[in-house]
Amino acid sequence: MAAIQLQNYTLVITGAPYSSQAPQTALSFARAAITAGHTLDRVFLYGDGVHLASALSAPPSDETHWPDEWAGFLKDNAIPGVACIASALRRGVVNEPEQKRYELPASNLLDPFVIAGLGEWVEGTMTSSRVIYFHAGG
Amino acid sequence: MSTLIVIDQPPYGTWAGREALDMAFSLAAFDQPVSLLFTGAGVNWLRKLQQTSEIEQKSVEKNLSAAPIFGVEALYADADACTRYGLRLEDMVAGVAMSESNSELLHQYTHTAFAG
Repeated sequence: MAAIQLQNYTLVITGAPYSSQAPQTALSFARAAITAGHTLDRVFLYGDGVHLASALSAPPSDETHWPDEWAGFLKDNAIPGVACIASALRRGVVNEPEQKRYELPASNLLDPFVIAGLGEWVEGTMTSSRVIYFHAGG
Repeated sequence: MSTLIVIDQPPYGTWAGREALDMAFSLAAFDQPVSLLFTGAGVNWLRKLQQTSEIEQKSVEKNLSAAPIFGVEALYADADACTRYGLRLEDMVAGVAMSESNSELLHQYTHTAFAG
């Protein structure tokens, strides 16, 4: 069997859970990549993808909880999960500093996700060997 | 590294194109070469004299006019899509280049990213 060339990936998710399959497909890809020995540098949530980082999702118990699935995967594999700050603030996904800054009634950023700028994505395009996008499609 | 950001979504009715434009500006801010290709309904971004007050949205024309200032290298319009939407070069904002072959254009870039 030919040796596979190991890659280090940045994954970008722009589709929201429960309105698109993007987070689910991305998680399947991520698990397969890790199993095959590849590295995930970071997962970047952009546009509607930031809803994956909401700690307030409460799907019915017989449905997969995609935010929790993703959070568990990121923790288990020590992979940074970053939500774009501009996308997140527009859509009501905020951490405590942003809650205070904008005087909002609550914060809801799911651990271990962090909020940061598009510079994190730019760095991914510069340093990862592959950048893969997971869109809502349609 | 050079990136082509492809905007294939109309300027209004979805936020995806605006967020794709932000990606282009962000690359340019970090001195990374970036150009924009408008295709499909995305070519409507390039229309001159957009009047958006009736829909209570900011015109994307102003955002787009900032592209050269931020360091976006080129604005390309897919020629077939322009024909489909009845857009001639004189109907579009300044500085647009027509792309007759998107596949040839894509080959010139190491990375491409689409609006969602």
